[in-house]
Amino acid sequence: MRLHRSLAVLVPIAILASACSSTPSAGTATKLTIAAVQGGEDAGLKALAPMYKQQQGVTLEIVEAPYDALYSKLVTAFQAKDATYDLIMMDDPWMPKFGTDGSLSDLGPLGITADPDIAQVVWDVGTWPPPRGPVPPKEKAKPKQLLGVTIVGNVEMFMYRSDLTPTAPASYEDVLTNAKAQNKAGSVAGYIIRGKATNPVVADFLPILWSQGGDVFDENWNVVLDNDASKAAIKFLVEDLKAVAQTDPGSTDASDRDKIMANGQGYQSSVWPGEIGTAVLDPTVTKVAGKVGFIPIPKGKSGKGVGMMGNWLLGIPKASKNQQAAADFIKWMLQADTQKTYAQNNGIPSRTSILKDAELGKTNVYFPVLAEALQAPPNWRPRTDQWNAVEKIIGTHLNKALTGGETADQAATGAAAEIRTLMKAAGY
Amino acid sequence: MSVAPARPIRIGGRVRAAWKAQSRQERLVYQLLLPVFGTVFALATIPFVLAVIRAVTSDSRGFVGLENFAQALGNPLLYESIKQTAIYAAIALPIEILGGLGIALLVHRTVRSNVVRAAIYIAAMIPIVIPQIAVGVVFRLVYLPDYGILNVLLGQTGPSQPLWLSSPPLAMIATASVDVWQWTPFVYLVMFAGLQTVPSESVEAAQVDGATSWTQFRHIELPYLRPLLLLVLFFRIADVIRVFDHVYILTGGGPGTTTEFLSLYIYRIGFQFSDLPQASALAVIVMVAMTVFYTVVSRFLPADRG
Repeated sequence: MRLHRSLAVLVPIAILASACSSTPSAGTATKLTIAAVQGGEDAGLKALAPMYKQQQGVTLEIVEAPYDALYSKLVTAFQAKDATYDLIMMDDPWMPKFGTDGSLSDLGPLGITADPDIAQVVWDVGTWPPPRGPVPPKEKAKPKQLLGVTIVGNVEMFMYRSDLTPTAPASYEDVLTNAKAQNKAGSVAGYIIRGKATNPVVADFLPILWSQGGDVFDENWNVVLDNDASKAAIKFLVEDLKAVAQTDPGSTDASDRDKIMANGQGYQSSVWPGEIGTAVLDPTVTKVAGKVGFIPIPKGKSGKGVGMMGNWLLGIPKASKNQQAAADFIKWMLQADTQKTYAQNNGIPSRTSILKDAELGKTNVYFPVLAEALQAPPNWRPRTDQWNAVEKIIGTHLNKALTGGETADQAATGAAAEIRTLMKAAGY
Repeated sequence: MSVAPARPIRIGGRVRAAWKAQSRQERLVYQLLLPVFGTVFALATIPFVLAVIRAVTSDSRGFVGLENFAQALGNPLLYESIKQTAIYAAIALPIEILGGLGIALLVHRTVRSNVVRAAIYIAAMIPIVIPQIAVGVVFRLVYLPDYGILNVLLGQTGPSQPLWLSSPPLAMIATASVDVWQWTPFVYLVMFAGLQTVPSESVEAAQVDGATSWTQFRHIELPYLRPLLLLVLFFRIADVIRVFDHVYILTGGGPGTTTEFLSLYIYRIGFQFSDLPQASALAVIVMVAMTVFYTVVSRFLPADRG
């Protein structure tokens, strides 16, 4: 009797335990859950989901969240070792945080290796610790691992109204000269500054900073945002360009920039590939279709033009129970034919052959420029898990300077001092 | 001297005995309340306990006592964000409460048609049920320069137009105005419901005695509304401390840190500075402060109107 009672309790527990602990064998998952950013960046991914189901029999469940909410969700999911997500989309500045925390799987052993048709910088940006540039002190001893693969090959470029000035600006001096010539106060902005506080203004500013010879850190993590070149770059943004910019650069985000450009109220600006469709290519929403040229970031005083990467990568959380199936999806997504379908559905590919495909180039006129920008190569934001905090500091000061709360010099010295304190506390 | 052997404490037995001592009706009450308490425990108590644990630990050093609290309280930016939150509350709350009360009195005294009252009720519900992110996006289109609706209506689209989102005082007014638009109807609904409980005999008697509108409000209606006003004040203050979405969309905390309110500051510490222990300490401090505040407010809430 006692034995029967014990069995009655133990058998269901054993069944439950075996069900909970069972790990699907490699590559046999029927569903993959992907955490993705809401917006144009995951449009191509969503378009591929039915195709993957049809070809491989695996359902892709895409869970979308806005940019900041996605980051918060991923941070908390990784802390809790949550196995909800099999794949995650991440902006490349998040990679150092996730790499430092050891939240992602190494994709190498799962069969993902570098492909020469994809620019080397794309593989480098997904590698942790970073293969070039300064490495955080605590990360130097770690072996290099591929933790993410680019699925949105975003690189910041430059757009200008080619119908008004057929010759593209070769340098930031030309940019300023053209801006002064085209600026009509209150109706046409000679240059559109994306100056909303924190991330937007920093994304707009870094290509200018690098091209003018400034930087945030040197090779040894010393803060150089207040050296002469960096100060000159800040002054160039908040004084020279602001004088020929739209009425309120301090509140302008990417969507506002797109509207200004689409309405014919702006002459030139930096631009992300994801914005181009709405801002300048779709004749149903823009007045300037066919009137805009694209070039890589113009040269600055450093003698080169340095674009900025804003790649979105796919990574596999260590807690995922479908590691191999997730890796198989990444491999499938990188295939040339998949990338072509991806590009035809508003995805931004990273394969050079796809970016240079003549047929695709007819509808995506910026693809060849993007291929060129990826080969340049562009810079990535400093590879430190403190980047979000650094960006917040710089973005707050730049926004304050753009809205008249600080001078360019105060913004440079104030931000540099705060970043030094932050980095020192973080062990740099 | 003999020592009696210690009897084992049988907690389960005592609980069982206490449970049996309850009447059947009392036991039913506990059984019915159990799902509610369970839900509150799972959704509120467990996260709070986890936040407290996070607030007294460090990723690398384990238990650190009150170090995270000291660090949180030692940051001057915290007091800056509290100041900005107080300014925001000082603009939004009086307008919401007095505005909501005024509209409720107006509708209560002048609108007799049930259909019109229902229409006003539905209209008042609309701002409350719209997600704050959507509200932020819509108001951004209102306040933006050049093509923003407000400046176009004001005929101010030239170089000297008001910059609602990037001039410090105007940005504060712009963000607070969204709060006023969204939550004044909530105050109206609560106050209007409160006014329905005022006995019509008392009002009629006062009117026969020649009471003015103000006297009627001050001596008859206000006593019925007082506990509701305190409750509304509590809820609105709690909401103002949590305000995030529409501010993030409208200004991102700018210009500079002018609209970086307490919730944005905690977000900044937790997710931009990746300091979750300090952010947890801040959350615990806010929770304790709100509990103290609620306790004080509760003292002014009469148990009944008698």
